[in-house]
Parts: sequence; C-alpha cells; structure tokens
Amino acid sequence: MSIEIKNINKKFGEFVALKDVNLEIKPGELVALLGPSGSGKTTLLRVIAGLEFPDFGEVVIEGEKQEKDVKERNVGFVFQHYALFKHMTVFENVAFGLKVRKKNVRPSDDEIKDKVMKLLSLVHLAAFHDRYPSQLSGGQRQRVALARALAVEPNVLLLDEPFGALDAKVRKELRRWMRRLHDDIHITSVFVTHDQEEAMEVADRIVVMNQGRIEQVGTPEQIWNNPANAFIYDFIGNFNEFEGVKDARGNIHLTEYDSRPVKVAVAEHEETGGVFKSLINKMLSIAEPLNITEPRESYSPIDKVKGEQIKIYARPHEIEVVRVPQENEYISGKVVHINPAGSTVKIELERKNGKIIQADLSVEIFRELKLQKGSEAFVRPKVYKVF
Amino acid sequence: MKLINNIFTSRSSTTEAPIIRWAFTLLGLGFLTLVVAMPLIAVFFEAFRKGYDAYIAGITDPYAISAIKLTLLVAGIAVPLNVVFGIAASWAIAKFEFRGKHILITLIDMPFAVSPVISGLIYVLLFGIHSVLGAWLVAHGVQIIFAVPGLVIATVFVTFPFVARELIPLMQEQGTEEEEAAILLGATGWQTFIRITLPNIKWGLLYGVLLCNARAMGEFGAVSVVSGSIKGETTTIPLHVEILYNEYNFVAAFAVASILSILALVTLVLKRVLEIKTGVKGKH
Repeated sequence: MSIEIKNINKKFGEFVALKDVNLEIKPGELVALLGPSGSGKTTLLRVIAGLEFPDFGEVVIEGEKQEKDVKERNVGFVFQHYALFKHMTVFENVAFGLKVRKKNVRPSDDEIKDKVMKLLSLVHLAAFHDRYPSQLSGGQRQRVALARALAVEPNVLLLDEPFGALDAKVRKELRRWMRRLHDDIHITSVFVTHDQEEAMEVADRIVVMNQGRIEQVGTPEQIWNNPANAFIYDFIGNFNEFEGVKDARGNIHLTEYDSRPVKVAVAEHEETGGVFKSLINKMLSIAEPLNITEPRESYSPIDKVKGEQIKIYARPHEIEVVRVPQENEYISGKVVHINPAGSTVKIELERKNGKIIQADLSVEIFRELKLQKGSEAFVRPKVYKVF
Repeated sequence: MKLINNIFTSRSSTTEAPIIRWAFTLLGLGFLTLVVAMPLIAVFFEAFRKGYDAYIAGITDPYAISAIKLTLLVAGIAVPLNVVFGIAASWAIAKFEFRGKHILITLIDMPFAVSPVISGLIYVLLFGIHSVLGAWLVAHGVQIIFAVPGLVIATVFVTFPFVARELIPLMQEQGTEEEEAAILLGATGWQTFIRITLPNIKWGLLYGVLLCNARAMGEFGAVSVVSGSIKGETTTIPLHVEILYNEYNFVAAFAVASILSILALVTLVLKRVLEIKTGVKGKH
C-alpha cells in the first residue's frame, strides 16, 4: 500500500508541529522518520494513523483519501510504551482486534485461535499466551504489541519509537529482528526514531525532520555521504568544524593553520669513505658532528590568502594526525583526552583558540604516533565537506 | 543505661528516635480514641442501655423502618446516578482537552466547599413554591421539595464529587494509549469503553462508590432542609435520629443511630480491602 502525504500542516496552539510536509512512501517500503525531539516526527506518524487531524493537507493511502474515521484506515500501530491491555492475557491482547469486529466479518473462535497462535509463534511467544503483560519483559511486551498490530492484517504498519524503552542489547536484537520480519512480510512500514544508528541500520529510506519540516529524504548511504545541510550533518554523527577560505580558483584553504619551523639534523661528511666512517662511528657509539641547516621558512600567513569565508566540516575518522607536519596547512593542538577503549582510539586535541578537535585513529596509527596527554600534534582534515 | 540510650537515639537518618515515634503515635491514637472511638462505643452503649428488647423495638418501629427504606431508596438512586455522572465527567476531563475544562473541575469540587445546609437551601429556593420554576411544577402536579425527588436531588448534589474525584487522577495516570490502541484495532467507542476503560478503573470506581454511598446514607444537613422532616414520609435515617432525640426518646435514637455506625464500620473494612486490592494493582 502506498502512502502519500500531501501538504500537511499542523499547529498545537501556537506551536508549529508540522509545516508543509510532503512525502511519498512506496508499497512495501520501510521508512524511518528521524529527528530530534520536537521535530514533528511523532505528530506526522499520528496524522498518518488518524490519531491527529491536520489543519491542512491530506493523507492518501493506496489512492484513497483518508477521511476522519480512524477505524476505517486499517493501520497497525505499535506504541513506544506498548499500550498492551493490562487486564488481558497475551492471547486476548493479540485476539482483540479480531474479537471486536462486526458480527458479519468476525472470524469464528477457532479461526481466531488459529490466527493468534500463528502470530505468537512468529514472534516466538507462543508459550506465553496465557501470561499477563506485567509478567513479561520489555522486549517480550513489544513483540506482543507487534503481533497484536499485525493480527488485523493492516495495510500499513506504524511504529512510534518502538525500541525506545528497551535497553541497548535488546534494542539491537529487536532491530535486526524487525528488519528480517519486514523482509518476510513486506508490509509498508513507517517508524519513528531519534537514534540515527537505528535508522541507518534498518530503514530503506530515511526522512530527516527538524522543527516540523522535512530536511532531507534519502537512503542511508545518501544521507551519510551527501547530507543536504549542516543540521543533518551534525545530527547524523560527530563532526569537527574548521574555518577556511575559498580562493578565486575555487580551492579550499584551511585558515588558522600553522606549522613550526623544523630543525632537520643532517650529517655532512667531507671525506670519502664517509658512509663507512658513519657506520663505524655508529657502532662505536661515537656522536657525529651535526650541521644544522637553516630552518625552513613557514608558509605565508593567512591574510595572504583571500577569498570567501567558509566553514569546513570533517568527521573524527577523517582527521589526519601527525607529529611533524610535512606540508603546511596543518593546525596544531595539544592532546587533552585519550579514550583507548574500542576498535578505534578516540582522542581530543585542544587548539590554540580553545576549540576541541575530535579525532578517531586506528590502533596502529595511534601507537606509531606515541601520543600522550599533553603531547603536541598537528591535525588536518583528509576529507571534508563544505556547506 | 544502654536501654535509655537506645530510646533517645535514632537508628537512621530518616527516622526519629524511638521515643519521639512512640510519643507521636500515642498522641495520634489518643486523639482518635477521644474523637472517634469513644463516641462510636458510646452509641452502642446507649443503644443497649435498656436492654436488647428495647434496642430491637427501637429499630423495628414502623417509622424507623420507613426511614430505613427511604434511606435505601435515596442511596439506591443517587449512587448509580453519581457513578454515571462521575465516569462521564472523569472521562471527559482525563482523556480530552476542551475549553471550560477547569470550570468543570471546579464545579465538581463545589459540593465540598458549600455548607450542606446551603446545598439544601438552594434547591428550596430553586424548586420551592415561591420560585418561578416551583410554581410551574406545582401546577403540573410535580412535587420536589418536601418530597422524595427533592431528597434524591439534594443527595446527588452533595455526593457528586466522590466518584469523580476518585476517577480523575486514576484515568489521567492511565493515559489514553490503551484506548487509542483499541480504536486503531477497530473497536467502536462503546466497545473500547466497556472492554478497556472500565476494567482499568474497576477498583477506583468501587472505592468511589463506597465513599459516595457512605455519604449518601449519612447526609443530614442538605436533606434536612429539603425534606421538611415529615415523619414517615420524608425522613431518612439521620433525620429520624434527630426526631427521636428531640422527642427525648434516647434509646431509640441511639438504636437507629447504631445502624449508621454499623454502616460506617462496614465501610471502613471494605475500604481497607479495596486499598489492599488497589495497592496490588499499583494504584495509590
């Protein structure tokens, strides 16, 4: 069942919950509504369900404009806090939608029993059919809620932060499980989440929302690689911000860069056989006389590069960190924090202007650099985005 | 020495020393004994002063029996009416947003703020012969004041808050999600109410009914004004007790009063049972 959302606007008193929202959801798609609190994602979901009515605009499901009646919409809804019927058993909860049907469309008790037990097996809870919700864990309750929503064979499945109330491990498991379930059943599904990792992992397409508007719609890859604006970039993951200048030719230059003059030790040998002599000296641990060349000139200072002021963004894993800068557009910083736990080492460096740079380094590179708290290092974004 | 020390020092930072706890407990118990327990015992003591036969004679007197019947009738109409009104008002307040919600909440609490005598008086003024409405009613042969309908109306007014006040916080706490889920699954409004809402408020409702009933049966002030205390016709148990007492028929007065006292004790026991039940359900 396709869903078309046309020009939806909704206010709660003075607060604008949804503004000019337009969206098309293809049949069988699993779409995530992603955004921070107050972005309007839950309101939009409830408008699709018919629990809220928009001030303007309409919802069209499979070509049929949805009028006021919630009952007619045949949508399945899973709430964040399950909303299971406390005084009914798991079986009665799942059977509810079938039992309240009008006499002429109501299945027989045997048919109901059959259907319910099938659904409970699907969610691996057949053995719990006579338990009460209070006797189940959070993850189990959510699975009952899902089975209950699916029992009435809805056209569309809507989930409001379905895993929000569960602990991290259960959340990950259920995420994977939901993805597999969707692959089997292919029901058009929309789910709301504020967890970008969840959206990236599960959804076919992500709708990023902010302050009642849709910021961007795309596949997880599209959103990650080509965020449309700074808000999405920030929301999707950590980032570092640098100032820069775009010169007349369109080249990007990092401003506030600096590098120190480097004293390079060069051993100069006047006599022939110098190599052997150095070797023997080395073996005998005799210090060699060193000629120190003139320090290299530092790069022309920033005010020599003119152009449009821009902001440059780079993710922590896109930052290059060196002890000795080879070229010159580097920014110096002092290591203030090292977090070694995990597959990458996360370090924080403080710049001269007080700002913090986050850099994720592989374990090998970190070891090579021999960084400690207080060490000085140089950073540069290897890959970056400009908005 | 150690014993004295233990009495004066507290075991933990959040409790008082034993002696302070004992002192307050005794103070509370003493107050309750004086104000509640002793009068209650006195009622039974006085009722049986002239012996068992006098007691039975007091409560089987024809006027006493008609008073008991009338009390049961009035409570039997007022309590169900208040259950319907109470559920409706609580439902509206807890599950919906609408203009004038705060006015409704204030109106529900009003009977508590108004003196019972005034509560009765307002109906006399409204429906009495000297009012516009009253004249119209009399012309059509309907008598409200100094008759049973007046008793019922006054009792409904005075006991209205009990059910509503019990249900409003309960329904607010439960929220609307279960009802929303039921509607989305295809249930009608009525089905949702019967299958989902009512079972969830079961214990709170019973508690409210219990309090409502106790007040309905024991109400004096409002009913006294509205009924005119016509012996045998418009006297409820409390009014009958007053009449007997004014006739210096003390034993009979206390005998009839003991019926209300027994009602009070039964109410307390049932209240405790319901408190335990609702505690189990996670309420209060």
